[in-house]
Amino acid sequence: MRAATWTGVNEVSVETVPDPQILNDHDVILRVRRTTTCGSDLHLLGGYIPFMRAGDVLGHEFMGEVVEVGRGVRERKVGDRVVVNSFIACGHCWYCRQELYSLCDNGNPNPGITEALWGQSPGGCFGYSHAMGGWAGSHAEYIRVPYADVGAFVVPEGVSDERALFASDAVSTGWMGADLAGTKPGDVVAVWGAGGVGQMAARAAMLLGAERVYVIDRLPERLAQVREHVGAEVVDYSSTDVLAELREVTGGRGPDVCIEAVGMEAHSSGIQGAYDQVKQQLRLQTDRPSAVREAILACRKGGSVFVLGVFALMVDKFPLGAMMNKGLTVRGAQVHGQRYMPRILDHMARGELTTEHLATHVMPLEDAARGYQLFKDKADGCVRSVFVP
Amino acid sequence: MAVPRFLDSLRGAATEAGGALLGRLQHVRLPGVGQSSAADDPETAARRWRAVTVLCSPEQVGAGADLPAPLAALGDRLDLRITPAPGDRGTELAARYRDRASDDDLRALRSALRAAKQLIEVGEVLRVDPAPHGVRKPTPQGAALEGATARAGGEGVL
Ligand SMILES: NC(=O)c1ccc[n+]([C@@H]2O[C@H](COP(=O)([O-])OP(=O)(O)OC[C@H]3O[C@@H](n4cnc5c(N)ncnc54)[C@H](O)[C@@H]3O)[C@@H](O)[C@H]2O)c1
Ligand SMILES: [Zn+2]
Ligand SMILES: [Zn+2]
Repeated sequence: MRAATWTGVNEVSVETVPDPQILNDHDVILRVRRTTTCGSDLHLLGGYIPFMRAGDVLGHEFMGEVVEVGRGVRERKVGDRVVVNSFIACGHCWYCRQELYSLCDNGNPNPGITEALWGQSPGGCFGYSHAMGGWAGSHAEYIRVPYADVGAFVVPEGVSDERALFASDAVSTGWMGADLAGTKPGDVVAVWGAGGVGQMAARAAMLLGAERVYVIDRLPERLAQVREHVGAEVVDYSSTDVLAELREVTGGRGPDVCIEAVGMEAHSSGIQGAYDQVKQQLRLQTDRPSAVREAILACRKGGSVFVLGVFALMVDKFPLGAMMNKGLTVRGAQVHGQRYMPRILDHMARGELTTEHLATHVMPLEDAARGYQLFKDKADGCVRSVFVP
Repeated sequence: MAVPRFLDSLRGAATEAGGALLGRLQHVRLPGVGQSSAADDPETAARRWRAVTVLCSPEQVGAGADLPAPLAALGDRLDLRITPAPGDRGTELAARYRDRASDDDLRALRSALRAAKQLIEVGEVLRVDPAPHGVRKPTPQGAALEGATARAGGEGVL
């Protein structure tokens, strides 16, 4: 089959690779119908998560049609149109039973690497390096899906492929951030990053009853999408002092909930930006945390900060004093998507959650290298490149 | 101990940009992270119980020949301790070698504990290979990472 692979730092190729096979009883094989680039891939592509081997198949946000099922699969059957969560979870361990699916004990067959980095190993993720299990990704004609009864959800009739696709990762991640940050009716919520994840965090916060939602970014086309498709207010950090603006619009309190959806390559300007770049290049810090810092400083006393952006290891100048003295709750997670996908698909079916606008560039899988270039450079208004195998 | 050496072995195991990152990983790493025991002498470290918590009752773990096959295979060499975990967390399944254990022995024990847990919780041991992939450019880094991932099921802080 054809597949888009990582072949070196910032290098993507489309190659012919072997077809996947069923290896465990709970597997299904999917014919991929849609698969998309995610901000997390950029950290991989750039070599910030250095556990990729040349030839690894990329992609973790996808949907498709079941073409083969393992002997132990009970719920899914050949012909089902499904969307699959990006994290691989067994459904039976203690973490899965707590609905903390991305922490599944049984989803990463190579837990040694992440245990060595973090003390404990979270679960596995499709197409996300040998640290997260070495699973082949979805930018391919076919993909093997382990624990399919747990991670693959049937797409309701009437929900298009383009809409369902993003339930896999962007929407479920955004929803998790808004939910686990404790968003309640009446809250003011601020979201850093207007990519697919940030936009969906904002939309979820609105559906969870937030009174006002602000999304912070600098890219005008993304801020325009937030206004038009999400219905939230925007703050352009390239022309506005974010902390001052958020203080002013919240009567001096600061947002109740702050959601960071930017990640380890956060952009910042001035001295802070230069400082983080140099430190990251000298490897004195591995990640650039400017949006996390700002979220902690912006948050109201006793409020809640959720880190959705991916970080690998260490950051510098983390405002621990602000966190402690303001009594903040700071939390983060990879996506516990299985917990939210049924509900998300319901909202999608009712038209309350739309995602088609994120798919700014839809193209054949053969064009994956171009799709990643556009997405990485945020060129031509690209929010997400979507590949059709 | 095996784990710090494992992390060392990853130092060569990286892509161009990441190589430097991993190379300096040693410096940004917190003391004790990535090592099953950082301050123990080797003798004490080798004698520590290695444990997984399994979501089942103690009886379901079995005993003797009824143990999950990967553990039963290590048979007489192991002491086992099977106790209820606090709260609703299941059963703590702990093991250690009675005799002197090599790094390979410890790797085998980690794999066996993880496999035993999966067999009880899920009914099968998850396999990832063979996974579809494209051309593996033959770089030393690629080979080192391959070596490291091939062993990663038996590594970690367990
Ligand atoms: N937790 C999870 O499970 C999970 C799942 C998916 C993605 N992610 C992570 O979420 C993050 C966002 O993903 P995405 O697909 O939306 O990525 P993206 O690259 O499309 O979007 C990131 C956005 O952040 C903006 N940005 C950069 N610096 C900023 C700053 N200082 N302040 C405010 N905005 C800033 C960029 O302009 C961009 O629009 C990534 O780090 C990704 O790895 C996490
Ligand atoms: Zn993602
Ligand atoms: Zn699990």
